Amino acid sequence: MSNIVEARALTKTYGSLKALDGVDLTIPTGAISGLIGPNGAGKTTALKALIGLCDVEGELNVAGMDPRTARHKLMEDVCFIADVGILPKWFKVSQLIDYVAGVHPKFDRIKTEKFLSTTDIPANKRIKELSKGMVTQLHLAVVMAIDVKLLILDEPTLGLDIIYRKEFYDRLLNDYYDGDRTIVISTHQVEEVEALLTHLIFINKGKIALSAMMTELADIYTEVVVDPEQIAQADALNPIHIRELLGKKSYTFESVPRAQLQPLGEMYTPSVADLFVAKMKDSRHE
Amino acid sequence: MNKFHLLQFRALLKREMLEHRNLFIVAPVILAGLVLLFSVWAMTRMGQDLISVGIEYMALLFNGLSPLEMAPIFMFLAIPFIGVFYLCAIIYLMNSLYQDRQELSILFWQSMPVSNLNTVLSKLVTIGIVAPLFYIATMFVLYVIAMLWLTILGWSYDIEVAGLGYMFLAAVASLIFVYLSIITTTLWLLPTIGWVILFSAFAKRTPIMWAIGVFILVGFLEEFIFGTQFLGNFVESRSTPTQYLILDFQDVVERLINYDMLFGILVGSILLAGAVYMRRFID
Repeated sequence: MSNIVEARALTKTYGSLKALDGVDLTIPTGAISGLIGPNGAGKTTALKALIGLCDVEGELNVAGMDPRTARHKLMEDVCFIADVGILPKWFKVSQLIDYVAGVHPKFDRIKTEKFLSTTDIPANKRIKELSKGMVTQLHLAVVMAIDVKLLILDEPTLGLDIIYRKEFYDRLLNDYYDGDRTIVISTHQVEEVEALLTHLIFINKGKIALSAMMTELADIYTEVVVDPEQIAQADALNPIHIRELLGKKSYTFESVPRAQLQPLGEMYTPSVADLFVAKMKDSRHE
Repeated sequence: MNKFHLLQFRALLKREMLEHRNLFIVAPVILAGLVLLFSVWAMTRMGQDLISVGIEYMALLFNGLSPLEMAPIFMFLAIPFIGVFYLCAIIYLMNSLYQDRQELSILFWQSMPVSNLNTVLSKLVTIGIVAPLFYIATMFVLYVIAMLWLTILGWSYDIEVAGLGYMFLAAVASLIFVYLSIITTTLWLLPTIGWVILFSAFAKRTPIMWAIGVFILVGFLEEFIFGTQFLGNFVESRSTPTQYLILDFQDVVERLINYDMLFGILVGSILLAGAVYMRRFID
């Protein structure tokens, strides 16, 4: 499988703060990739770097181009939705569609209009008059009508209620994703996107804490509810996280063979949310 | 540049006019309305005798002049419109690459396949070519109304309004001169425009204060270090209003093809290139 994004040693500093600290990143073509991290982890900086909006050091290749020198050309193949507030508020809905139709060679106006006909968004309203949910719907309607290779979503459902959030991801999965396109979703709401993802990236303090296909997770990570008499053996296997669970201790292990863990207690594949917490508090790095 | 790029540039210009419709569409219409209201008020205060004298004096003033010769006189009528246009142009330029950064819509604009060069050029073409057209069109409508009004006044007061057709042609010619003046002025003031757009591209807040403040600072440093006043003299040499006026078609060539103009275009282009460069990254 080829990679639509390849980055090596990406570094970005703001004063003394390292927003990206030598990030190595690959995103396979056709993946739905989740870029997960706590607030301030470097998610937005990383995504801005991918579309050439942020000056970073290091090697970067997105869809065969360097975003730092070919942003406008790259944006013919990449779409980007940041959080809900970025559409120009003074545009009317119809004017927004006219504008995108005028500047984007791969935009299909009919698709957008068809999408909008299933919503309550009127064409003659200004964007500032729409609710947050409607603005996100509108942005999605525009973006879904652009035939690109890579769609980047940065906290796209931030501030939306559960109905709009669910509809957003349903539309994305059912009406847009076709297996060839790549989608990168950044969020800190892990549970919301877990079911969609085929590829997972954890980022924390400007560094990649995990990058793996979802199908690989079960081979790499194991959670064991350890029997009390096995605690010493479990501690010896260098767990990445330990948590209390109904009076027992649950250990998360990385790259430890399951055969070795089986005697310790009941084994599970950790959920993405549990894995996220485990990696963010990786006991070996604290 | 292929057909798509031309259509794309047209979409950029349309965006500018829509976004700044208050400055470039609403403002001249309001001004025209005020001029009309004032004219009606003035006429009602003058009375028939004074109006008759005025119309006869006008006929005398224009007697024997061709429309092109009359046109410069009509240009005086455009002064309020030119004044309002330049005021709006300054506001526009200050905000040109600043406002979208403030409201974060820059993330949307930059997510479209539009180069920063085309974005900056669209601002320049808007201010130098497209926006003035709306002012000119408003003035044209105003002149048409004025001519109709004079005709009606002539009928109602039984006064012969001589040379009305010639006057209308002169008014139209004056609008062409005004338009040409604005285009040549845009080129003449390209260093100033480039300077303001440059600061608009990167100032965190109040770009005009940055633009003026840095200019004063650089001018002061120049005088302090080198004992020269090149910057001050450069600006002063470009600040006389009569330099900008086109009163004859022959003036266009003289205004455009000369060393000072070409040097200014070079300086302005360098500053605009700086704005394109600063626009690359949003943080």
